[in-house]
Amino acid sequence: MKDLKHLYYFENLLTEANNDLVRQAKAEGKLAIGYTCYHMPEVLLNLDNCFSVRIRAPRTGSMEMATYYMSNATCEYARALLERALEGGYQFLDGMAGVDVCECMNRSMENMELLKTNDQSKKGFFWCNLDSPCHDNEDAVQHVTEQVTRKVLKPLHENYGVDISDAAVRKAVEEHNEVCRLLKEIGDYRKLENPTITGHEFHILTLATYCCPKYLILDKLRETAEELKTREPDTKKNYRAKVVVVGSEIDDPDLIELIEDSGALVVADRFCYGSIPGRQEIILNDEEDAVTQVVRNYLKTTLCVRHVEPHKVQLRLDTAARLKEEYHADGIIYEQIKFCTYWSYERALASHIMQDEYGIPTLSIDRPYMSRTSGQLRTRVQAFVERLEIQKIRAAREQREKEAAGNGV
Amino acid sequence: MKYFGGCDVGSTYTKCVILDETGKMVSNVTIRSKINAEKSSEEALKTVCEKVPDLGTPDKLTYLIGTGYGRNKVPSADENISEISCHAMGVHVTDPSVKAIIDIGGQDVKGIAVDTDGTVKNFAMNDKCAAGTGRFYEAMARAFEMTLPEFSSLSLTAKNVIPITAQCTVFAESEVITLVGEGKPMDEIAAGIQMAVAKRCFVMAKKAGATDRVTLTGGCAKNEGLKRAIEKVLKLQVVELKTDPQLMGALGAAEYARQKGLEKE
Repeated sequence: MKDLKHLYYFENLLTEANNDLVRQAKAEGKLAIGYTCYHMPEVLLNLDNCFSVRIRAPRTGSMEMATYYMSNATCEYARALLERALEGGYQFLDGMAGVDVCECMNRSMENMELLKTNDQSKKGFFWCNLDSPCHDNEDAVQHVTEQVTRKVLKPLHENYGVDISDAAVRKAVEEHNEVCRLLKEIGDYRKLENPTITGHEFHILTLATYCCPKYLILDKLRETAEELKTREPDTKKNYRAKVVVVGSEIDDPDLIELIEDSGALVVADRFCYGSIPGRQEIILNDEEDAVTQVVRNYLKTTLCVRHVEPHKVQLRLDTAARLKEEYHADGIIYEQIKFCTYWSYERALASHIMQDEYGIPTLSIDRPYMSRTSGQLRTRVQAFVERLEIQKIRAAREQREKEAAGNGV
Repeated sequence: MKYFGGCDVGSTYTKCVILDETGKMVSNVTIRSKINAEKSSEEALKTVCEKVPDLGTPDKLTYLIGTGYGRNKVPSADENISEISCHAMGVHVTDPSVKAIIDIGGQDVKGIAVDTDGTVKNFAMNDKCAAGTGRFYEAMARAFEMTLPEFSSLSLTAKNVIPITAQCTVFAESEVITLVGEGKPMDEIAAGIQMAVAKRCFVMAKKAGATDRVTLTGGCAKNEGLKRAIEKVLKLQVVELKTDPQLMGALGAAEYARQKGLEKE
């Protein structure tokens, strides 16, 4: 396929947290608010003159310093963020909106704060660790609304004079929805018989929407959506199977590239930093205040594995199966970063359930934060692709035999 | 006569197998891998082809398949297939009754469940860590100042097993040195190492769904002490292969090459 005009531009924005667009927005007097998790309602960090930056640690090398503080049997994502903070990589931020989602992220955030990794000259800087419940009922909605108001909106207003009115929230939701509409339009090309966008390309675009001020990327996203309307797929398919990837944080597009280089086109991204969930529109009514509605939306739509109520567990399994059908995938890859407590349970169970009860071929992998050089991972994915191919050949053969028998041949 | 080749570029050894049209193995070679996978496969292919008088050079092969970690570096290969699929096929053509494989290579351990036609039913594989692999054994034998066969034989003489707690190659080596320093019997330490690796193999075999008719492949399959330890933890008798188990990846690749080459014609 012909290269997407702005792909290199977007890819370049992912090489560091403090990228060109973040610097541009800062130079325009905007406030950069860092966050790490879906459970921090992103849209509330985009009020008035603020913009959200979902932090990553691109090009992570050794994590010795973070390992000293957190031990080596902890999630590498949490450690990589701490390492980058210790290296001074997040000093551009004007606030950090963390969430109490797991032990590793708690320790990571706690150390960032205790070790004073933020720019000490910024007097308005605030740290927050939002208490996020494991339920999605109305008590939980009220609890999170109170937390967000007290720990995020209040310091934004008091420290920086940010407009946190209902109108400001609704305006931020509108901008968020425009990004979501564009990404959905782009992402829907993955449902085609021969998709005109790869999983790697789509992940780069999705990540850019998490890591850059939205108002600065909208134009190029629109152009990309337009470009895709006429983009011709390669005549010869350059993949051997289509897969849905389900799992924990993937903020490194190289992992998706590795999977695709091994023959599996990633057609749906049901993982943290992916678009499902995260890039769906938020529909507000006029009867209730916007903050409560936003909070409810995030709690209801989350597919995070820390929600262990039976209806959520079932929803996650059904969603994976639905995506496999909707995006015409041949199988599912369940992945997790090593030492992720929640995903260790979910991956182990779900990968069997999907295979045995839903009849969907499933590959289960655990991986380091940066896995682009993993030969073992390549082998595992390639072997899975080969298995999917064999199953397809067998199914076609059985179908032919059935038809022949029906015709009395 | 047409010939078909399989080249398995492993992290420690490169193996090549040539099959004729009937599926008979007419030549094979095993060489120590170099840092450059392309050079390893070039040398192995040259040697294995020279052994077949009416073949002579690799360019005369009808179809060639690369496998192993350096599978995409095999010059002039028609395609590459993962070593997981190739080991399954290699074992299947050697002994179709085998249902599961534990492959212990230079840098990884795999459990593979084989379907009735030699394709992969399910598999499990270790990640980056080299614990319980050929590299691990090399480090252990070095700590004992022995060759691998000597180390294997020593473990078979033990009456007791001293458990080794560390799985990490580096920590295990230091644990072994400590135990030797404490004057513990060498054979019992060696048996402890074999048991530690066997337990890792147990996990891979179980993850892949292995129940019976299990065989070992890869260079470590020649380690009799390990084989016995695996039989003990899995509570079954490991199936002995008629052909060198280290060649199974290359043999499977050659068999796939034969099938695809004949189909192409």
